[in-house]
Amino acid sequence: MTTASAQAAATPGRRVAHWRRARRLPGWVLGSVGVIVALAAWIALSQLLAGGGGVINRLPGPAAVLRELVAYASRDLLTDVAASLRVFGIGWSLGVFAATGIGLLLGRLPALGHTFLPIIEAIRPVSSIAWVPLSVVWFGFGLTGKVFLVGLAVFLVVIVYAVDGCTRIPDDLARTASMLGMSAWQRFRALILPGTLAEVLIGSRVALMAGWGTVIVAELVAADSGLGAHLIAVQQSYDVPAVMATMACFGITGFVMNGVFSLVEARLMPWRPRASGRAT
Amino acid sequence: MNAADRPVDHPGAAAMPGGELAFDRICHEYATQAGCIEVLRGVSFDVSPGSVTCVVGPSGCGKSTLLGLAAGLITPASGEVRWDRAPVTPGTNLHLGMAFQQPGLFPWMTVHENVAIGLRTRGADRATARRVADEFIATVGLADFRHAYPSQLSGGMAQRVGIARALALRPRLLLMDEPFAAVDAFTRLKLQQEFKALLALHRPTVLFVTHDVSEAILLGDRIVVMSQRPATVLREIPVSREDRNRASAAYARKLAETLECLGVPSDGGSE
Amino acid sequence: MSGASSRGRAAVLRNRLVLPTLGAIVLLAAWQATVTLYSLPIVVLPPPWQVATTLVDLFGTAAFWRSVGVSLYEFAGGYVAGVLLGVVVGLAMGESRTIRAVATPVVESLRFIVPFAWIPLTVLWFGTSLVGKIVLVAYAVFFVMTVATLRAVQNVEPTLTRVATMLGMARWQRAVRVHLRAAAPSIASGARAAAALGWIAVVAAEYIGSSAGLGFMITNAAMSLATGVVIAGMIVIGLIGAAVSALIAWLSRTRLAHR
Repeated sequence: MTTASAQAAATPGRRVAHWRRARRLPGWVLGSVGVIVALAAWIALSQLLAGGGGVINRLPGPAAVLRELVAYASRDLLTDVAASLRVFGIGWSLGVFAATGIGLLLGRLPALGHTFLPIIEAIRPVSSIAWVPLSVVWFGFGLTGKVFLVGLAVFLVVIVYAVDGCTRIPDDLARTASMLGMSAWQRFRALILPGTLAEVLIGSRVALMAGWGTVIVAELVAADSGLGAHLIAVQQSYDVPAVMATMACFGITGFVMNGVFSLVEARLMPWRPRASGRAT
Repeated sequence: MNAADRPVDHPGAAAMPGGELAFDRICHEYATQAGCIEVLRGVSFDVSPGSVTCVVGPSGCGKSTLLGLAAGLITPASGEVRWDRAPVTPGTNLHLGMAFQQPGLFPWMTVHENVAIGLRTRGADRATARRVADEFIATVGLADFRHAYPSQLSGGMAQRVGIARALALRPRLLLMDEPFAAVDAFTRLKLQQEFKALLALHRPTVLFVTHDVSEAILLGDRIVVMSQRPATVLREIPVSREDRNRASAAYARKLAETLECLGVPSDGGSE
Repeated sequence: MSGASSRGRAAVLRNRLVLPTLGAIVLLAAWQATVTLYSLPIVVLPPPWQVATTLVDLFGTAAFWRSVGVSLYEFAGGYVAGVLLGVVVGLAMGESRTIRAVATPVVESLRFIVPFAWIPLTVLWFGTSLVGKIVLVAYAVFFVMTVATLRAVQNVEPTLTRVATMLGMARWQRAVRVHLRAAAPSIASGARAAAALGWIAVVAAEYIGSSAGLGFMITNAAMSLATGVVIAGMIVIGLIGAAVSALIAWLSRTRLAHR
């Protein structure tokens, strides 16, 4: 069965009844329709609730949020984003670095691995966000605490990839190395290290979202600088449009980071299939 | 859907005789990211009632598309597919049964449930479905495995269940999509023999797609040879009883003729 | 890894039991050592034994169980709603190319605003009440389940779809009885991930804007520097998360296994 026929036969009912019609509407048209419908629903809902009905008071329409966003952009937006990105950058780098080093250690020395990996496995499900109060006790509300939390979140994600990368050397590569008579150090440099780094790269991309989410929680609690602090500030002044605008900023920054990282990943590892990680 | 298409529901009853399937100047294409791929161009042939027609051709030439068209799963870009002199209706058609390359058994159902489900969705009551399912499971020799799950079956056994499921529907048209391609050679030979025996009991019209020419000679009353994509009918080759004897010269001639048509020289090429 | 030889079995025992226990002991010893060597005050890092007794004390307190109950209630409500909605939407997106094309941009853009970023907004809208947390959890779980269901349904073996149509199933029948059922194990593992996210969303929401619940209890303890309670609370968070995950895994293994 060719892929085309499999694809065609996979949705037979739809294909038979609508295939000519659906063929005329490319994905982006339908997608735009979706966005327009969502925006229209948003506007309608905000009009509906403006009369004071319902639980959700104060739902500003998209126009109000956009206005706030522009106003914010002309004021502190860049400073706040920079502050948040700084926290994220340091924490993420430390987390990746630590995970790579410790991962290599635990992966290549099975005795150490069997001893300590189960502990890490036990702690992993406990998101680093649970550590927020403890970090407040230990580090107060400053940069150190936030970096610690982000680093921990990233570490817990990337460590698995690092360990996998240095233990799962494909058999045929290992045999080739033996046949070529490589020394342990050569093996490490040519075989283990690149494999580990490749996995770490993938893992650190997955950790992007985990780390970025941790940043905002840390900043919501610490509330001294960054997007999270701004979010708390506008929340406390009941400025709903500003709250939504800040949330949008957070999302957009995350989206851009994700995109940049995808590009970097594609350049560094062109042989890898693009792990979009999302179904469309 | 008329009364003639309903499954007859008492055991041992023969199905209504097979009808005539006709492809009339079928052209079809697929839209992919690369653009439009024309897969069939002007394909026309008939399958007479109760006969077995085997379609052979290079892979990707659209043989499976023919089955989709016959089943009403696909609407042709141009041309017409006719069953019993009437155009095939799009969507579900209850006069036919189909067996696929992968057995396609529902992994969460037992063998028995898998065979019975088709009868249930087509309107049979529980008792009848159970009875008919048991009958056909026994026919393919898997009575002991009625309550096994597909994961516990070998490839050949799973394929048998798929065939039992299709036959239990008492189809007047049986569409087979390289059903024996995914099993090993020995199992394939066995399954071919069993299938021939099953066809003798119920005589549906059969359209059988295969890449194995010797299988086509063994099973078919006629072989339709398709060209590369965009596919047309290169030749229709009748098969007689003598041709099926693998030890006979007639078989060798028929095999050679079909292979030549496919572009494979029968003397093994240059040495 | 079945060791037919006794050496094999000894290795398994060593790797799976002895060494990890050793690791735990090393960790606890290091913890205790840090406390003693640096003479850390209790408000910074209480010794392991103290945390253990604090934990036991908590288990005897009614207020603790009330807090846990509040958090679990918020989680459960939001989780069930999120799973049901997410599976329905995910299935619809999987079945209909139109729905998928229309819904995808909206889903994909909202995905980047992580649930935690919604916390201040839910506080503005719902105050510190339970409803806000339930909505938050439902939101977080919904997105995970939608994507998981969509992907699982798209990965159903195409032959099964053709079989279902051939057997005469109507489209909705095929969607629910075949696609959903075949995708169920994959959806269940998505449900486990969603549970982890939902649970931590509750905790985070309680850290930031709440007047009850486990997270609130821990934040209070942090403010009054009752570090032992903080650590004990973190352990409880982890235990509950593990229990929920194990429950879902058990349910999917016994009810959904394809055998």
